[in-house]
Amino acid sequence: MTIIQVENLTKIYGKGETAIAALDHVNLSVQASEFVAVMGPSGCGKSTLLHLIGGLDRPTEGRVLLEGKDISLLDDTELTEMRRRKIGFVFQFFNLIPVLNTVENASLPLLLDGARPELTRARATDWLRKVGLGDRLSHLPDQLSAGQQQRVAIARALVTEPALILADEPTGNLDSQASAGIVGLLRQVSNEWGHTVLMVTHDSRLAAYADRIIFLKDGQIVDKPPLPQGRRGQDMEAL
Amino acid sequence: MNIQFTLATRYLLGRKLRTFLTTLAVIFGVMIIFGLGGMLPIMKKVFRQNLMASVGKVDLSVTHVTGGTFSPAVLETVRGTAGIGEATGLLRQNILLPASLGRLSGPLSSVNALTVSGVDPVTIQRVRSYSLLAGRFLQEVDQDAMVIPESLAKRLSLAVGDTFTLPSSTGKAEFEIVGIVAARAVPGAAEVYVPLAAAEKLLNHPGQINTIEALFAPGVDRAKVEAQLRERLDNGYKLGPVEFGSELLASLRIAELAYNLVGLMALAMGGFIIFNTFRTVLAERRRDLGMLRAVGASRRMVLGIILAESLVQGILGTAIGMVAGYAFSVGLLTVIGPVLREFVHVELGWPAPTIANVVESIVLGVGITVASGLFPAISASRVMPLEALRPVMGSVYERTAAWRAAFGAVLIVLAVLGLLSGVFSLAALSTVLFLVGMVMVAPALVKPIANTFGRLLGLIFAREGQIAQGNLGRQPGRAAVTASAMMIGLAIVIAVAGVMSSIREGFLGYLDRSLGADFLVMPFSLLLGGGNLGAAPELAQRLREVPGIAAVTTLRLAIAEAKGTSIQLIGIDPETYPAVAGLEFKQGDPEQAYTALGRERAIIVNGIFAAQHAVRVGDVLTLRTPEGDRDYRVVGIGLDYLNSKLSTGYISQANLAGDFHQTSDVLLLANMVVGTDVAAGRNSLEELIKGYPTFTLLDSAAFRKSQEQIFNSSLAMMYALMIMLALPGLIAMINTLAISVIERTREIGVLRAVGSTQKQVRRMILAESLLLAMAGTGFGILAGLWLGYVMAGAMNVSGFVLRYYFPYTGVLLAIAVGLVFGVLAASLPARQAARLDIVTALRYE
Repeated sequence: MTIIQVENLTKIYGKGETAIAALDHVNLSVQASEFVAVMGPSGCGKSTLLHLIGGLDRPTEGRVLLEGKDISLLDDTELTEMRRRKIGFVFQFFNLIPVLNTVENASLPLLLDGARPELTRARATDWLRKVGLGDRLSHLPDQLSAGQQQRVAIARALVTEPALILADEPTGNLDSQASAGIVGLLRQVSNEWGHTVLMVTHDSRLAAYADRIIFLKDGQIVDKPPLPQGRRGQDMEAL
Repeated sequence: MNIQFTLATRYLLGRKLRTFLTTLAVIFGVMIIFGLGGMLPIMKKVFRQNLMASVGKVDLSVTHVTGGTFSPAVLETVRGTAGIGEATGLLRQNILLPASLGRLSGPLSSVNALTVSGVDPVTIQRVRSYSLLAGRFLQEVDQDAMVIPESLAKRLSLAVGDTFTLPSSTGKAEFEIVGIVAARAVPGAAEVYVPLAAAEKLLNHPGQINTIEALFAPGVDRAKVEAQLRERLDNGYKLGPVEFGSELLASLRIAELAYNLVGLMALAMGGFIIFNTFRTVLAERRRDLGMLRAVGASRRMVLGIILAESLVQGILGTAIGMVAGYAFSVGLLTVIGPVLREFVHVELGWPAPTIANVVESIVLGVGITVASGLFPAISASRVMPLEALRPVMGSVYERTAAWRAAFGAVLIVLAVLGLLSGVFSLAALSTVLFLVGMVMVAPALVKPIANTFGRLLGLIFAREGQIAQGNLGRQPGRAAVTASAMMIGLAIVIAVAGVMSSIREGFLGYLDRSLGADFLVMPFSLLLGGGNLGAAPELAQRLREVPGIAAVTTLRLAIAEAKGTSIQLIGIDPETYPAVAGLEFKQGDPEQAYTALGRERAIIVNGIFAAQHAVRVGDVLTLRTPEGDRDYRVVGIGLDYLNSKLSTGYISQANLAGDFHQTSDVLLLANMVVGTDVAAGRNSLEELIKGYPTFTLLDSAAFRKSQEQIFNSSLAMMYALMIMLALPGLIAMINTLAISVIERTREIGVLRAVGSTQKQVRRMILAESLLLAMAGTGFGILAGLWLGYVMAGAMNVSGFVLRYYFPYTGVLLAIAVGLVFGVLAASLPARQAARLDIVTALRYE
């Protein structure tokens, strides 16, 4: 089943001579339970692609279909609801609410959806245990390590059983060990728990965990990974 | 809704100090509104209370609307009305007892006031029942007998057969206590009973009464009898008790208005602080809010979170403010209670907030707080989810700022035109326009002001000053909001200082002109009437006969009704009064006015009365007098020091005697012959006054000094109050500097990384703060001088004659306060900035 279908997706910033195409007629599809990594150099449009798929921004041209529904036709309220129920976000900087504890942070999407507190707590606790934080339920974010905070963010992303998990540089603020742990967890989210994961990363070692890697360059999908200057000719296998 | 309140309370608890500081502004405002709101109604109620309420069988009482005396013939009219069973006439007055006659045996037993009731011993007992505890009641043959209540007997340790001395119009009068009755149920001054003739002599009202008490015949229709009685009596009489101190009600109403204004101003400042605080909140939580939107919080939910915070603060601030307000009013009553007890003989008791007062405080306290959080809440709800991932650029500000500055400039021009128009209402509106205009123009002025003051600052902060200037110039909107908060706070301080200086100099001027005689013989309470017993004309005559005395003039007192309200009437001798004292004239020619006073029924009214009733020279005023309605021609608008705050009119003593039956002097002024021995003259006067215990001898220098002291302490209290109002400006500055530190975290990290010391970072923040303080103080002084000038003008319109006096002290105080605030406000944020971890700061986005 196709979870995401992207057609002719274009995002242009600015006008006239200063216009920049962050994304240029991108087409792609992601299947259910697939783990896809998006890679590319800085400014290639990978984060823009994530934003558009997640309904955080609107395209200049083209459309995004989530579970067959064109999200560009949704108004702000419908988009917000979609994000709450269908998409889970994992940010580079975790973005936990500093005054809420682990369970409360993980429960946030359900609480915002008006779910009953007991159900919310139970589900959040269940996910927190699955991500290995069963013994940190009442801790505040500043009492957790960076890796643990990101795990809370992942539990928060999963608590509404969304169709899609979008992770924007989820290991950007973590050391290599914690990074491996997080990406391994995302692998589990896809393999074991059956959720679709779309991850933006600049780290090819972490991208290797994915089922498929999409390379972006200058706003377009390219076949081969764009190589840094002075290393032309090496392909992905060599990495 | 739960998650919103959960987040609201957690965020508030997470920043306890800031929560406390912002809530403090709300607490202060509610404290004033609730505290004074609970106190002033009690004062008004007590002043309105009939201090001569009857006990026993009395069904109704008849008095004159002026509270003055009338002929006993009216008693016959009452008796002759069908349905009236019994009626009796009384002459009743509250008098203040000087300490020497209060038989002090300790502070708790001192008695300051009494109600003396002259009664017909036979007819009074048909109307009222008295429960005798000892001795007997008055009898027809009694001349100097007295019956006292048990409460008084106990307090002063009096018994049947003892002698009790009262002050009288001829000095002193001694009475033999012949009976003690049970104390009456109604609180107020103790009531003593003497024969009517003795009261007439004591109070200098020969052949007069001022109250009739009556009983209905059994089985009659009371309403019908009352209606019939009203028809038979002319309009000058009312069925009900005499009210004392009603002219004070006007002053209390003004006080109530003034205090409510102060409370509202404080709440408005509190609201401004809340608004500024939530701007800080937005800056700090932009990422959190973006994340919330990203994970599915709707705009309404985000709006709700911020509003929930302001609601919690509003409720908390209001609750604490109400408790503090009650304590505040208890404290105030404890301080002023004894003063009121002594001079106006009223017992206030505990504050009694009404339901209206409670509701008003809650609505204002919570309402203003929530309303102040509304705009920041709307901004918060517009935070884009992408802000969770990257910051938003601030370019949009430039366009709206220019538009706002242009509009603000237009408002300032209109304000100037309004002031120059000379029309008071336009000038008053222009003050609001000026303040709003300044707030809107302020962002555009930040850069030039920062550059100007920056040069000054550069003398102390050579390197950091330049960076500080640049920082402010880059965020003129934020800087302007803070400078505006300071401006409003200090403008209030300067404006009130200007008005207080003008009032102080103005009133001391009246004092010099109207009470500038060498000696004053006055009752020990400054309030004329209200229980002060006057002296018969013999005292003034005896004063004139003292060797070395050049001239004596006296003031007499009555109450009339005019234009539907009470007016205090001062009887003056139009020949001697201008020579010894004099009125401060606002309209009318003094010489012509005094001449008219002596020739016809003429009246000079004071500014308060003239302003309240739009009275001008040449108008005819109908005064309700015990002799019926009388027309008086207004020949001037003027005032004297003692009566400037009450609705007052001045007529000749001849007319006061004829129309109001008043011939007692309540204030005597004497001038010495130039060159005579002042000390000898003083000794002679003191010897004379000894026989009149109600009166005290003062020389004008000593009196002026005592009044100056009262003014100076009031000024000090006002300054303290105004500084508290300026406090919100301090909180606003702390908040703004805190935002500035947060938003420039990475920049500060870079400064530290390239070699700036912690001390230099602190100095940079301090320099910014001082620049803001200078701008705010400068604007504040300008705005405050303008406001003060207009407020002094307003006082002129409301009846006082005031010149505007430049508040030098106020301006210096404002500069000092502004600079001190500048330093204080910077201390926390500066420390915060200097302690930032460099690596963390560099990573901050």
